[in-house]
Amino acid sequence: MMKGWDGIQSSVSSSSRSSSTINNRVPSQSVRLGRVQPQAPTFRTIFCNDREANLPVRFKGNSISTTKYNFFTFLPKGLFEQFRRVANLYFLSISILSTTPISPVSPITNVLPLSLVLLVSLIKEAFEDWKRFQNDMSINNKKVDVLQDQRWESMSWKKLQVGDIIKVKQDGFFPADLLFLASTNADGVCYIETANLDGETNLKIRKALEKTWDYLTPEKASEFKGEIQCEQPNNSLYTFTGNLLIQKQTLPLSPNQILLRGCSLRNTEYIVGVVLFTGQETKVMMNSMNVPSKRSTLERKLDKLILALFATLFMMCFIGAIGSAIFVNKKYFYLHLDSSEEGSAQFNPKNRFVVFVLTMFTLITLYSTIIPISLYVSIEMIKFIQSTQFINKDLGMYHNESNTAALARTSNLNEELGQVEYIFSDKTGTLTRNLMEFFKCSIGAEVYGNGVTEIERGLAERNGMKIEENRSPNAVQEKGFNFDDARLMRGAWRNEPNPDACKEFFRCLAICHTVLPEGDEKSPEMIKYQAASPDEAALVIAAKHFGFFFYRRTPTTIYVRESHVEKMGKVQDISYEILNVLEFNSTRKRQSVVCRYPDGRLVLYCKGADTVIYERLSDSNNDIKKITREYLEQFGSSGLRTLCLAYRELHPNVYESWNEKFIQAKSSLQDREKKLDEVAELIENDLILIGSTAIEDKLQEGVPRCIETLQRAGIKIWVLTGDKIETAINIAYACSLINNDMKQFVISSETDAIREVEDRGDQVEIARFIKDEVKRELKKCLEEAQSYFLTVSGPKLALVIDGKCLMYALDPSLRVMLLNLSLNCHAVVCCRVSPLQKAQVTSMVKKGAKKITLSIGDGANDVSMIQAAHVGVGISGMEGMQAVMASDFAIAQFRYLEDLLLVHGRWSYLRICKVVIYFFYKNLTFTLTQFWFTFQTGFSGQRFYDDWFQSLYNVIFTALPVIIVGLFDKVAHSLQQFLISGC
Amino acid sequence: MATNSAGSNDPTVNRRQTKRPKYSKFTQQELPACKPILTPQAVISAFLIVTAIFIPIGVASLIASRDVVEIVDRYEAACVPSNWTDKIAYIQSGADKTCKRELHVEKRMKSPIYVYYQLDNFYQNHRRYVKSRNDEQLRDAGKGNSTSGCDPESNVDGVPIVPCGLIAWSMFNDTYSFSRNNNNVTVNKKGISWKSDRDHKFGSDVFPKNFQNGTIKGGASLNETIPLSQQEDLIVWMRTAALPTFRKLYGKIEVDLEKGDVINVVLQNNYNTYSFSGKKKLVLSTTSWLGGKNDFLGIAYLSVGGLSFFLAMAFAIVYFVKPRQLGDPSYLSWNRNAAGQ
Repeated sequence: MMKGWDGIQSSVSSSSRSSSTINNRVPSQSVRLGRVQPQAPTFRTIFCNDREANLPVRFKGNSISTTKYNFFTFLPKGLFEQFRRVANLYFLSISILSTTPISPVSPITNVLPLSLVLLVSLIKEAFEDWKRFQNDMSINNKKVDVLQDQRWESMSWKKLQVGDIIKVKQDGFFPADLLFLASTNADGVCYIETANLDGETNLKIRKALEKTWDYLTPEKASEFKGEIQCEQPNNSLYTFTGNLLIQKQTLPLSPNQILLRGCSLRNTEYIVGVVLFTGQETKVMMNSMNVPSKRSTLERKLDKLILALFATLFMMCFIGAIGSAIFVNKKYFYLHLDSSEEGSAQFNPKNRFVVFVLTMFTLITLYSTIIPISLYVSIEMIKFIQSTQFINKDLGMYHNESNTAALARTSNLNEELGQVEYIFSDKTGTLTRNLMEFFKCSIGAEVYGNGVTEIERGLAERNGMKIEENRSPNAVQEKGFNFDDARLMRGAWRNEPNPDACKEFFRCLAICHTVLPEGDEKSPEMIKYQAASPDEAALVIAAKHFGFFFYRRTPTTIYVRESHVEKMGKVQDISYEILNVLEFNSTRKRQSVVCRYPDGRLVLYCKGADTVIYERLSDSNNDIKKITREYLEQFGSSGLRTLCLAYRELHPNVYESWNEKFIQAKSSLQDREKKLDEVAELIENDLILIGSTAIEDKLQEGVPRCIETLQRAGIKIWVLTGDKIETAINIAYACSLINNDMKQFVISSETDAIREVEDRGDQVEIARFIKDEVKRELKKCLEEAQSYFLTVSGPKLALVIDGKCLMYALDPSLRVMLLNLSLNCHAVVCCRVSPLQKAQVTSMVKKGAKKITLSIGDGANDVSMIQAAHVGVGISGMEGMQAVMASDFAIAQFRYLEDLLLVHGRWSYLRICKVVIYFFYKNLTFTLTQFWFTFQTGFSGQRFYDDWFQSLYNVIFTALPVIIVGLFDKVAHSLQQFLISGC
Repeated sequence: MATNSAGSNDPTVNRRQTKRPKYSKFTQQELPACKPILTPQAVISAFLIVTAIFIPIGVASLIASRDVVEIVDRYEAACVPSNWTDKIAYIQSGADKTCKRELHVEKRMKSPIYVYYQLDNFYQNHRRYVKSRNDEQLRDAGKGNSTSGCDPESNVDGVPIVPCGLIAWSMFNDTYSFSRNNNNVTVNKKGISWKSDRDHKFGSDVFPKNFQNGTIKGGASLNETIPLSQQEDLIVWMRTAALPTFRKLYGKIEVDLEKGDVINVVLQNNYNTYSFSGKKKLVLSTTSWLGGKNDFLGIAYLSVGGLSFFLAMAFAIVYFVKPRQLGDPSYLSWNRNAAGQ
């Protein structure tokens, strides 16, 4: 009990601190337990199928509301939102001023344009909110089957409560976050599609706990009386921790048993589940909040310009008011200035200071038109049309194969596109197609695969050689498989020097993955693999072609149709029991599976990045390690993506003791991920290297041309990739980012000196050494770069730096040097960088160079970079939508960047600038005549224009021409003309 | 719509439909547009065309302006007898204000000849002055008591003034009579105001009341038996001038004046402009198709036309003496910099 209080101590003291402002002088440290509100526990307890028991907790209902306003709050809240804009607030105060007698204009002059602007904005808000409301209503009123009195009752979604047991049919959407109990599929699995959540269209598998498989019928399900303890609602889509207490047993729950709202059920007749989180507390809803909005540079500049206008306004009023104070004189008898009736103080020469002050206000009202009231509304409208009509509907940016058009997710940044000077690009999936094809491999000491990559071809061409490609006529080519070597195909591997290694290699490919087969399991041709990443699918497809056909997966077993080990041409179905899956994540950079052979043999198969695998290899077999490393470098320099495969035989005792720790970690409620990683660390060592795979990722169409065009337009392109330095450089060559005429600076941590220090293993020493090394290199490069810079026609410069060096180079003491060097370079390639470093590099340039930056990427690892840059672009239409969700613009192919920046961006920029200048011009002409007239009227502030004319000038009379300029103005007719005239 | 309202666009809905945008010239930004290319020929001819149009118009309007015969006589200084050193005291005194002036007709003046008085440094456009009137009261006999906005000339001893306000109160009250060779030249004072003012703004059943009965007399008095709609001097005066120097129509002379005629003017110099050192001028003027005498328009046209002619010539000379290729990108600033590196 006391422990519990300790846990909430901090929150208690903070709440007492806030209340101390009310009760004066309550010592901030004293905790008054009596006054403390009950704190929300760190987990929630749900009683399944028992509405009464759940009642005291008052869980939120399942109705959702995405509307910003309701009927009553619309006007106050909507107006409040509007008046947060300075211009509107300004006009409100002017309108109030104009109702007083000191105003030269009637109130209508200022009230009318303000109300028109507000009306337009409010109508827009109301319309959008109404659409959201209708959408909400239709969702809230959808029907779902809920268990009541041993029967399925149809009920609308909004009436669902936490703890209810519901049934969801095939292709139905889950109405809330559910705990998956049972499904009609054997083994308690179901398939879900998460496209609404993350846009990934491959099916995901979910598996219920074995204990709950039976609660499928209403009769049976009504007997289910479990208690669920789980985390409080949060927005993390991919984590879940909780326990199910059923029949006095505590069962750990993982994301594998959770069905999230927004997903839909596939390939399963129906499932039964318990409602965990409802309505606004579902993960998808908690995710939908607070997308930070970016403001364009031009908009920020606009604010400054408006301020300048304010200063001008103030000056004009000041001059006028001084004039007025000097002018007033009794000699103008016809004005009766000395009379004392009400309201004559403004012109009474006896107190010229009052005259000055009051005339100041008068003139502010009079000159209010200098602030363009409709500027923001008009610009918003123009940008909205530009993005929805021009960018989203551009046929030039429509990708036929993936059926994806460009999408401007925000209309704020159109003109920012035209000012981009630095592009930060991811490599995989952005410059390349992300269509992974199994291309080469090495098994033991042998390397297989005769293909020649585009990059090798390009390299050879640069060196003046020609590569003859001799493909064997019967080489298999399928999507994901482009491997040509007769030594391994059709069972020929049995005659290789090391058939056992081959066997392990193939089994590792066929077993160690999380791929789902779909389709007819009889024929290898008909089956489709649903994989989290195309690499994984490519590996499984490769295994299939090597004769290890993975055709069925159950949660505990993988079925592989193997060509017979002994006899050629025969096949046998073998089932491997999957005991544990140690999943892939970006910190682990590897994936392992513990499986049991039918004969009881326990094997751990592991595949992962070379660095992490090499750290975990046993000490034997150093020859293979060395030769494989050479192959890996070879593959890398051909632009291939490499993985190492390894395995480990497990002794049953070793396994059992480890498995206990694993289960413990799996059922822990807090820090489960971390604990699992730690436990995985325990068994993933002493591995034996089998070989390596090399997967080709082809360049996207038109990338080199696009990069060349962008470079000609003066845009500098940086490639930030997680790949090896060789791969990165080769890709940079292939897409003509770097060429042989360029002077390359390479700052790499893969030098002998650094490796030597690293081998000694002293972390502090390593850090110090690398830092010094990086500093020395940077200084050297910078000096050289500057010497080139001074010469008349020095070569173009390129910088290549790897993640480890970058880590030190980004240190505040070296950052300036790095920035100076990289800004002088024509192209920069950063390899082996982490997502965080990508963002750091981006914001370094953004802040250091004060230039407009653009980040483009396709995957979750690019999200931080996309958010850090001025403009974020996501590649859509491929796997994963996380980058797109974080981006401001989504395009299907890298090459569309050309159109996006050089056509849409450029035009938007020119147009918006013109619109702004137009606005300033028309308001200044309008107001300056007024100012001139003030001098003619004895500085009395008499108006020059009719009230109605003045009030409608901005919002009606001159509204359309500006918008037309903002939409139709063209400088050159097309990109080609721009290129001809511009470069 | 799909269930998920949080993610804005739902890939599942349209998966099997094509998302190919429909073609339209608008969305593809292919609407016809034209951008004039400023070739030397085009620029030079454009300037020449401007010259060709503007110079004749300028000449015509200048001639029209020059055709107008205008006689301007400033009299406020001369019309103070020399024995009065304090002009303000004179104008406020009860002394005889009659003043005689002679106007010489230098050029034949065809009727109608408009007679104006011109005031200077008189801020009829002052905000306090402009709003010091009550339009309801002027229009409607029943609203005689509404004097809002007329302070401080709204009532005398609690009795409302009609017409109230500073404008009416300070009405101009110099009078002119003309004679030629001892023959009276009649000045027609009908029809000098706007018809719309007479018909709609000043009531035919509204009569001046309690006017100029205050302690200080600001200007003219009105005949209380004539309705406001017929008091044309008032109507003219009440249409306030936009600038501090202005002319207002006094009347029309409907006979021609010959060259060499001497017009004798007998004027009553009643109005006080001495307090604020304003000038008073008497103006006789004919009109042309362009209105009164005003050289500005003609000069403006001529100068723009002349400037374009000058530019056309200058460009032509540059074009023939030192031509260069059109649209040569090497002249662009960044290209020049690159070359200079």
